[in-house]
Amino acid sequence: MIRGDHETPAAARVGSMGSAHSSSGAAALERLRGVGSDPLAELAAIKERTGLMAVGYFDSYLPEELIMAHGLAPYRITVSGREDVRSSEFIQGYACPAARDLLEQSLRGDLALLDGVLFTRYCDSLRGVFAVWDSEKLSPFVDLVRYPTVVDTPGAVTYLAKELQEVSDRMARALDAPLDERTLLDSIVACDRKRALVAELAARRASRELPLSGADYLAVLVAATTMLPDDFTATLSTLLEHPPAGEPGDAVPVVLSGTTFDNIALATAIEAAGLYVAADDLSSGSRWYGVRVGASLATGAAGAQVGDEEKSAGTFTDPWEALAYAYLSRPPCSVKEPSWPRADHLVSMVRASRAEGVVFYLTKYCDSEQVEWPFLRDRLEREGIPVVMVEGDQKGEGSGALSTRLEAFREQFELGGELS
Amino acid sequence: MSTGIDRPLTKRLEATRSLRSLIKGYYEELFRAADEGRPSAWLNVGVPCEFFYAMDIFPFYPENYGAACGALKITPQLSAVAEAHGFSADLCSYVRATLGTVFSGEGPYGELPKPTLQVSSMNSCIMIMVWWRAVQRHWDVPTFVVDTPLVREQSEGINLDYVESEVRRMVAWIEEQTGRTLDMERLREVVRLSNEGKVLWSEVLDLRRARPCPITAADIFTHMFPMVALRGTPQYVTHLRALRDEIKQRVDEGFAAVEGERYRLLWDNLPPWFDLKLFEDLAGRGVNFVIDTYTQAWGPRYMGPIDEADPVRSFAAYMGAGFLNVQIGRRYDLLAELVRLYDVDGIVFHSDRSCKPFSLVQVELRKRLQEDLGVPGLLLEGDHNDPTLLDRGRAWSQLESFLEMLDARRT
Repeated sequence: MIRGDHETPAAARVGSMGSAHSSSGAAALERLRGVGSDPLAELAAIKERTGLMAVGYFDSYLPEELIMAHGLAPYRITVSGREDVRSSEFIQGYACPAARDLLEQSLRGDLALLDGVLFTRYCDSLRGVFAVWDSEKLSPFVDLVRYPTVVDTPGAVTYLAKELQEVSDRMARALDAPLDERTLLDSIVACDRKRALVAELAARRASRELPLSGADYLAVLVAATTMLPDDFTATLSTLLEHPPAGEPGDAVPVVLSGTTFDNIALATAIEAAGLYVAADDLSSGSRWYGVRVGASLATGAAGAQVGDEEKSAGTFTDPWEALAYAYLSRPPCSVKEPSWPRADHLVSMVRASRAEGVVFYLTKYCDSEQVEWPFLRDRLEREGIPVVMVEGDQKGEGSGALSTRLEAFREQFELGGELS
Repeated sequence: MSTGIDRPLTKRLEATRSLRSLIKGYYEELFRAADEGRPSAWLNVGVPCEFFYAMDIFPFYPENYGAACGALKITPQLSAVAEAHGFSADLCSYVRATLGTVFSGEGPYGELPKPTLQVSSMNSCIMIMVWWRAVQRHWDVPTFVVDTPLVREQSEGINLDYVESEVRRMVAWIEEQTGRTLDMERLREVVRLSNEGKVLWSEVLDLRRARPCPITAADIFTHMFPMVALRGTPQYVTHLRALRDEIKQRVDEGFAAVEGERYRLLWDNLPPWFDLKLFEDLAGRGVNFVIDTYTQAWGPRYMGPIDEADPVRSFAAYMGAGFLNVQIGRRYDLLAELVRLYDVDGIVFHSDRSCKPFSLVQVELRKRLQEDLGVPGLLLEGDHNDPTLLDRGRAWSQLESFLEMLDARRT
């Protein structure tokens, strides 16, 4: 097969993916695309429809179940990709652009619908944004989850479980939204179910059974943490039951690796270079949708007796400990320790999706990813997996330089020569 | 920017001579330990060296080493080595300089010996952890991270319990790695010396309140080394006592470190190690930075005495609420207190590209301090270690304008 003919329009290269063959599947896809492209509109609709208060968060290590357990709507604040105008009045330009984007959205008034925001440390730029947010009182309620960085110790699980409960208590008081233990358990079930469905979608894309474009896949990821879980689950279920027709085309399948990546226009630009995002290694993607809290809860939860041995094997009776364990056990971001499972995860995503290469999107000024990059590059090279690093600010539709670099990467596959 | 005056505008402290000897001895001991097969550890400044002195493990601080690279203006060359290995030029300049040495074997002291182990803590920045990670991958050296979750004000309750458990986990890990046992009595002896020195350091900082101020910012930044790397050793106490006595004598004699001291300013953040002359040049304009925030990290407000009865818990409390592990409220309170205590006319916020936790709250702090206390602030873009990131001409112009503004406020 000859891939990526220069004369071939990008749309043809990625096949006819995205044209659903049934009206219900098409409608589901359109709904998810709509939410993915305008999550704030969905937030407004949720509030209008349900009257719920909403609490935002930025870092996918934050358990949304914590928010739902208070009868609140969780909303992951995605990177808007729009230009910064006012953030420099509050924070320097060498802060990570994704973190600045979060601040900019608030200053623009986009996040006025949020009744509260929960931060974790995550990275040094985000903690800077938290400081400004806290100081300027940019939302009626804002709190810091004193989140562990070391994720592989029993002590971290015990500590995070207690910390989540302390945050829960403060949130309950601040928003007059008491915790409901039953709702917490229901939320765990609901969130596990939706993440499992996203995992199913990812697996079916990886096998090319479901040739959804990478841009649409990213829209699903955004929708997954924007829509209320039951609504999302119903919508994605419909899509999975009535998947779009089409062929993958002759685009080169790649894994997109990075941190949080919400810019659908940028994903479109990547695929326009003749690449197909067959799978991901993103904080907001495959490093998140594998979280299964229920799997860590002992049968019969509240009444069950669990000893230390079972705890070390990841079984808990306390839902808070199960939450902590599940979120700390996910494939780590580079801001966590240890980080080495990330490389294994990336390689496994490449193998599982039969990707031919990796696009590593390095967000400018992201310290931890900047240090992780040479390590991941070397690991991929040892595995014989071609990789290209593109650096950007997650803005707009990318640049001409980005397209040129990606096209050059794709051309290497056509030539079949040695890749670097 | 030259002032057109060749002679030094400020008089060096006599204690600077003994400091040079201390630093020389410290590096000689680093290499001697390696030659003799004694264990050594790379630590970040948030990890107390007291544990390591108590266990006869030589503590080495790459941040301090990075500053030495900065002072010698060799960061750009070392950075080029790190960049050739794929590390971004946007990374912290300490990291680039140190990795450049690790990869090339070149630097102010030649090839650094590979440590026995590394310990980092999360109480300053993410960068530290990933810096150690890069060294670990290159040298395959055992590495431990002490988790200290970011807190708002203090480490207390479940957070303090967790950090204490982390410190105990660290000790157990070091014992396993080295076969050495932490003797608590020996730790208490080290802590006693450490506390003694901290009192002296606190007095040094207090003596800067005198009008005129007896020392310059360059003096105090130069003399930070013992606070970072030698806490708990006899020579640290001896040096700090001599430093305190000399400065006290200056105060008693009414000595002015900057003749005519016209502007008393506060310096926020790390200094540009490659350009401490900036402070001397500013002395020519009657400016003295009579206080700063960086040296406070070792001062009583952040690193008070360690409780000898329960040093592990006490160290945990210090580590959990380390200078850069707390939030904007405490930074604000510190600045407000220093403005009042040291009677400063204005604040220069060094916006340090290489230190995000220190820098990314400065815009907000400047705004609030101006609004609340009426104290003006200047945001000065620069870097603590990479001279290519400081536009000296532009900085000088900004400083000149700032001083003019201060003059205008006086009339």
